[in-house]
Amino acid sequence: MKAFVGVFALALGTVSSVFGVIVLGLGLKKRDERMLELGRRFVFGVLAAAVLAFLAMEWALLSHDFSLEYVYENNARATPLLYTIAGLWANLEGSIILWALVLAGYLAFAARRFRDRSTDPLVAWATLVGLAVALFFFALMLGPANPFKTLSPTPSDGLGPNPLLQNHPLMAIHPPMLYLGYVGFTLPFSFAIAALATGRFGEGWLADIRRATLIAWGFLTVGIILGGWWSYEVLGWGGYWAWDPVENASLLPWLTGTAFIHSVIVQERRGMLRVWNLSLVIATFSLTILGTFLTRSGVLDSVHSFTESPIGPWLLSFLAVVAAVGIGLIAWRGDRLRAPGRIDSPVSRESAFLGNNLIFAALAFVVLLGTVYPLLAEALQGRQLSVGEPYFNRMTTPLGLVLLFLMAVAPALPWRAASGEVLQRRLLVPAWIGGLTMVVALLLGTNGITDSVTFGLAAFALAGIARQMVVGARAQGRANGVAWPAATLRAIRSNPRLYGGLIVHTGIVLIAIALVASSSYSTRREVRLTRDNTVNVSGYSLTYLGSRITDTKQKVTVHARIRVERDGDALGVLTPAISSFPGRTSGIGTPAVKTGIVRDLYLTLVSSPTERERVTVGVQVNSMIVWLWIGGGVVALGTLVALMPSLRRRSQRDPLGADDAEPRVLEGASA
Amino acid sequence: MNRLAWAALALLVVVAVVVAATQAGDSSPRARANALAEEIQCPECDGVSVAQSLAPTSRAIVRDLRRRVAAGESDDDIRAAYVERYGESIRLNPEGDGLGLLVWGLPVTLVLAGAGALVFASRRWRREPLMHATGADEELVERARRDDA
Repeated sequence: MKAFVGVFALALGTVSSVFGVIVLGLGLKKRDERMLELGRRFVFGVLAAAVLAFLAMEWALLSHDFSLEYVYENNARATPLLYTIAGLWANLEGSIILWALVLAGYLAFAARRFRDRSTDPLVAWATLVGLAVALFFFALMLGPANPFKTLSPTPSDGLGPNPLLQNHPLMAIHPPMLYLGYVGFTLPFSFAIAALATGRFGEGWLADIRRATLIAWGFLTVGIILGGWWSYEVLGWGGYWAWDPVENASLLPWLTGTAFIHSVIVQERRGMLRVWNLSLVIATFSLTILGTFLTRSGVLDSVHSFTESPIGPWLLSFLAVVAAVGIGLIAWRGDRLRAPGRIDSPVSRESAFLGNNLIFAALAFVVLLGTVYPLLAEALQGRQLSVGEPYFNRMTTPLGLVLLFLMAVAPALPWRAASGEVLQRRLLVPAWIGGLTMVVALLLGTNGITDSVTFGLAAFALAGIARQMVVGARAQGRANGVAWPAATLRAIRSNPRLYGGLIVHTGIVLIAIALVASSSYSTRREVRLTRDNTVNVSGYSLTYLGSRITDTKQKVTVHARIRVERDGDALGVLTPAISSFPGRTSGIGTPAVKTGIVRDLYLTLVSSPTERERVTVGVQVNSMIVWLWIGGGVVALGTLVALMPSLRRRSQRDPLGADDAEPRVLEGASA
Repeated sequence: MNRLAWAALALLVVVAVVVAATQAGDSSPRARANALAEEIQCPECDGVSVAQSLAPTSRAIVRDLRRRVAAGESDDDIRAAYVERYGESIRLNPEGDGLGLLVWGLPVTLVLAGAGALVFASRRWRREPLMHATGADEELVERARRDDA
């Protein structure tokens, strides 16, 4: 029954997208407005199909219907409710249902938002491209990755999700967030293709997808950071990022997407970089598909390779089509894409944006190259190689430092050309704060150039952001005669894009500080403890109080109870644990983390208590980890601010209004 | 006054960088062993170094690295010994020769080329006059004005 409903939904989705594509295509060819209006409606058919498929699978999971192979493999009667629901994205086939649902949601959102423009060829083309992408994913589910495959005879119980996927509640939100980000880039992609197809690659399509791009970017950022958090809280190695292929696959579209949301400002403001922006959007979408291919086809090993499946060739063909269409269209339109703008001075906002794009493109290239290099080496020379953290760290650190520098300097640069005097006034104090911070960091015993330069540049950037906020708020305060809290709010409301961007930068700087601090100023030791005996490690004294076993149908867990004190202050009892799941051989450790503003204490149970009550405990002191998550929250907040409507907003369709949302307030205020 | 403040800041930063540079380079046996542990992959897990992994094999490798460093083996000897035993994939840091030249050199080359292209373009932009609006541009503006009114 559920399988029938599910397959029916998939068929409905496939048929709706096929009809939508055909009707819109014919409507565009014949310039028939009624057909365009009709074609748009198929988006809602696709949405209904995706919702139905999603509900059918959740229904099957919640009722433990093991006649479905997917439910049998990713659920068991003992699986707790949260992980039963999250079971939908525990594995490839189910993840594609989520992918289709998110895609259909975005398409419906766009169809509703542009409902008054359904006969506009740009919107019609974009809808057509979106439906074509949806068609691919529905066809994938009807064909090689069918989540509704049935088993006969029906097993009495399922295997349950991979233990790693049923050990922490973050599993319930990290993948959906990531998908909301990944899939969200379909909208900018479909509008980019539509702009190329209609020849309207001015600034109109950029304004149309500005919000969608920011929303996708925000979700992707939060999804990536939640993934790091999950890794830290679950995997027990005390880290949050391992340059694993799946992590890299999520970082790649983030890097090109970040480049795009910066370079788009240059096009809006100066009409330049048209080809580049189109290329970035197409690259971002292609990289989401490439990432899915690299990590789901089994060509690369990864901790995330919870399954291997035969969809590799499908994804690769789809990627080839996407890339060929994108590159072909850009080549075809090449002569008309030539932008009328130019850069007047190397010291200007637009130059800084170009620098930013160069660095982000380089970062994306390094991450891509490092990720596929083992494949290249094996294909070309038959060598088995690995590329890991040392390579990525060494290559990305200098690029990251340049980005920090740009973040400190660029927001202070005026458009077109900067006068020396303006720059001096805007940058001198922040630069001194940065320089002094570097000296203080050195005096406090920071080791190495990278670390002290990072701290100095971070302080430079933060001081510059603070200065801009204060200047903007003060100008609003003077103009309207209000106190500073109200003035700050007014400043933000007057130019949410600028201040939202500055808030995002604040979050990124916090993350940069945390990255450096946590990798340089953390310690790890291993200690053996006997019952009631106290050991001093890295400034903490740990006392083993004994162990406790909990036994549920889902898992059997051994908790070691360890009392923690620091400088005579009791910090409570931490309980690192090891769980074993029925039917799985290896135990899964669960670290116990005492989170602090400056440092975390991170305990892992390396070996279970012996009969003589001895345990081995991994003790890590990790610096400033919590600032990664706080920084992520600040980035999310800044993205929300940037999404707020501006009080000075003009009609979106006004082709002359494209450059209104830039920091005039600020420039006026400090002039 | 301003110029003086910038010069003083430049001096401060240069001194700080020099001090930081001379501080760096801890070549104690423990630091060497730790550095090697960062670039040897844990054989049982994917992509994580033995320095980060708590797997028994990884801990054994870390102990072995310390022992080898204490016994006076050079870093290259130790790397070679591990490559011989586990194969090239044990190293997380690809060699910089042959095909490895690509993975290390290509990004650097591209960044330099990109930066060069930007400098070149900005020079050319400064020499050449601005493009003039075409008939199509004028028409677009005219149409937009009419729509607006």
